[in-house]
Amino acid sequence: MKLKDFESNLKQLEEIVAKLEGGDLALDQALELFEEGVMISRFCNAKLEEAERKVETLIKTADGDLTEVPFTAEGGEPAH
Amino acid sequence: MDLYAQRKIYSVSEITADIKLALEKFGVLWVKGEISNFKHHSSGHMYFSLKDDRAQLKAAFFRNNNYYLKFRPEDGLEVLARGRLSLYEPRGDYQLIVEYMEPVGLGSLQLAFEQLKQKLRAEGLFEENHKIRLPLLPQKVGIVTSPTGAAIQDILRILRRRTASLDVLIYPARVQGAGAAEEIAAGVNYFNTRSDIDVIIVGRGGGSMEDLWAFNEEIVARAIFASEIPLISAVGHEVDFTIADFVADLRAPTPSAAAEMVSGAREDLRATVDSLSGRALQAVRLLIERRRSALERLARNRAFNIAPNKVRELQQRFDEAATAMTQAMARRLTALRHRERMLHTRLVKVDLRQLIARQREIVAGKRNRLHSAARVLLNSRRSKFEVAVGRIHALSPQAILERGYAICREANGAILRDAARVSAGEPVSVRLARGEIGCRVERTEV
Repeated sequence: MKLKDFESNLKQLEEIVAKLEGGDLALDQALELFEEGVMISRFCNAKLEEAERKVETLIKTADGDLTEVPFTAEGGEPAH
Repeated sequence: MDLYAQRKIYSVSEITADIKLALEKFGVLWVKGEISNFKHHSSGHMYFSLKDDRAQLKAAFFRNNNYYLKFRPEDGLEVLARGRLSLYEPRGDYQLIVEYMEPVGLGSLQLAFEQLKQKLRAEGLFEENHKIRLPLLPQKVGIVTSPTGAAIQDILRILRRRTASLDVLIYPARVQGAGAAEEIAAGVNYFNTRSDIDVIIVGRGGGSMEDLWAFNEEIVARAIFASEIPLISAVGHEVDFTIADFVADLRAPTPSAAAEMVSGAREDLRATVDSLSGRALQAVRLLIERRRSALERLARNRAFNIAPNKVRELQQRFDEAATAMTQAMARRLTALRHRERMLHTRLVKVDLRQLIARQREIVAGKRNRLHSAARVLLNSRRSKFEVAVGRIHALSPQAILERGYAICREANGAILRDAARVSAGEPVSVRLARGEIGCRVERTEV
């Protein structure tokens, strides 16, 4: 799920920073980690920047199923 | 006089009927007492006694009246019961038919609240370790609330302000009155059947304890407990606490607060990501810087100069050796030239022509001697050869034939030596020194 991706990405970013700050990495290893960190932070920022939002409500159809419709400020009727 | 005639004699039924009437004259009354011997039949009817320290009164509380009861009557509870007295004639029992009952002291709602709270707490529904953490960055929130209430408006307003991309799905439900608890529970259960809801908010605006009562019902509490999706309860105002609040993973004092909880992270997360990126960059720069200065230090180290020095030294030695060698070569060359000139000088002093002439003479002399020797040898060889030829010639058949002999052959060509081999009349051939004759034998003589 996208959700887990964000959280586990953030966690990975924290781990990468901890390793880099740890100080005794070989230089090419450090650069590799840094690159990975850049990619992850780009992904996280993209997720944070997403700007669409849907507001919907559920209503009961004729055959008793629930379906989603856009929610207007006046609201709708209870599902039951 | 008839003493008995003046007494009224009642039959059992009559007196019982009168007592019944007298009891019914009380009409509707209130009785305060402590419940004892409480029984709640499977039929739904409740039977108990109300007592104080000196007396007790049987009571019946039938289902059609007791269904609305929020609290659980139990032995020892002191109550106020309103109802009518009645007498059950066949048994001569009188009892209070209860129409309404409330606990003394605590309000019945309050009592019900306390009772359910204790029960559910004992079952562990409020345990911290059962609560689920909210996701850091929810994408879709499900809200169980009234679509026309103030709560949803508050929530949407906050969300609009705080975050761009959180999707909202509303499950419209009644939030008070009969059936509300069932609808709220249904909403929570429904969201749990979906895979796209990251967090649930259950809530409504402020109100009295009766208004909020649906959120104290057991069915709602159990639905919230069973929710595997993190759930925030946002019921009423700050001071209102409902059972739903205790069971939920998180309690928001108001619906607006709930909206903040689900959306607040975004800014913080952005700051966190930026901070982490900055730290990563710093750390790498530092690493590079440290490596660079270590490298420079090393480079400055004496050890690195040893090699260039050595090279220079070797270079110098090489140059000197090369120079020395060149000089030696030059000297040798000079010496050789000198010698060559010397020899040349001596050479030209010799008269070559004389030398050649003398040599020629010697050669000619040698050649003459060679020729005469050859001639002598040749002559001796020739005479020897001629002698040999003469001897061969003398021995050849032709020489023999020249001396007068002939070779006679038989008819078949075989050489004839024996006269016995032929008889008279046979042809024979005779070869002479010159030519051949064919003969016929005339006679033989052995």
